[in-house]
Amino acid sequence: MTRADYLIVLFAALLLPYLYVSQWSSSEVGTTAAIMNGDKTIAVSLAHDHTLTIDGALGPTIIKIEAGKIRFATSPCLGKQCIHSGWLQQTGEFAACLPNRISVAVLGDAPRFDSINF
Amino acid sequence: MNNKANSGITLKSTQEDHLIAWLAALAIAIHIIESVLPSPLPGVKPGLANVITIAVFIRFGWRAAVWVSMLRVLVGSILIGTFLSPTFMLSFSGAVATLIVLWLASQLPGRGFGPIGLCLLAAMAHMFGQFYTAYLLFIPHEGLFKLLPLLMTAAVIFGIISGIIVRSMMHHLEKGTDGITPSQRNVQEE
Repeated sequence: MTRADYLIVLFAALLLPYLYVSQWSSSEVGTTAAIMNGDKTIAVSLAHDHTLTIDGALGPTIIKIEAGKIRFATSPCLGKQCIHSGWLQQTGEFAACLPNRISVAVLGDAPRFDSINF
Repeated sequence: MNNKANSGITLKSTQEDHLIAWLAALAIAIHIIESVLPSPLPGVKPGLANVITIAVFIRFGWRAAVWVSMLRVLVGSILIGTFLSPTFMLSFSGAVATLIVLWLASQLPGRGFGPIGLCLLAAMAHMFGQFYTAYLLFIPHEGLFKLLPLLMTAAVIFGIISGIIVRSMMHHLEKGTDGITPSQRNVQEE
């Protein structure tokens, strides 16, 4: 084996994992989001950057949309789990604020299963 | 190339012509035997005929490898009956991609690649050439790319296996008959 041989083997060893990750990870970037406030659902597009203020059960929640991503920015709840969920972008990603009864789900062209049981 | 003698017209054939004809015949035989093997996925084949291409490349240079590989693809497809069919197109584009990569490899300074590196490189080039031809001509759908990791894994595995085969072939050729292949010996006896 020459040095060039080792290099090409190394190249192949790096190429294969890259191909598996890049081709097989189901990363569908979402196009819209559904925001549920109690019983009402509103659909918002992720195409334009904007900020929404939604009045929930406890008070106003601010939801930010930026560069095709959506997140809870501020919330009157105590736990702030919704804010810790961070930016949501992939189809099927979901964040909820149970105290304020608001949730956000990212939707795409192809609906994705959120879980599968056998 | 033997039928030239029967035709009445004497064409001068060089020693290199005979050599290429012998090696191409060997590659064609392997190509045909391999085409009978069942395959788990379209496009996955051991590619043992490429062992001959690489061995020829190492021993007789790029030009001879082009001849042997192109003759194999052409005659092999005519004999199997796939000439100008999609199978042929894939086989042809894979062979062309392999030859381009081999030419690049031959331009490297220093010791360059050994048998294993060459075979691995050739197998991956063959797969890429074949894959993009399939994508451009036959199945222009993004979904095809889901197959690429599997196909490339097969190419890497079979590339390394054929590299090991070529390496042991080279050892045997260096040990025996002061470097003269059977084909050359026949030419000298005539």
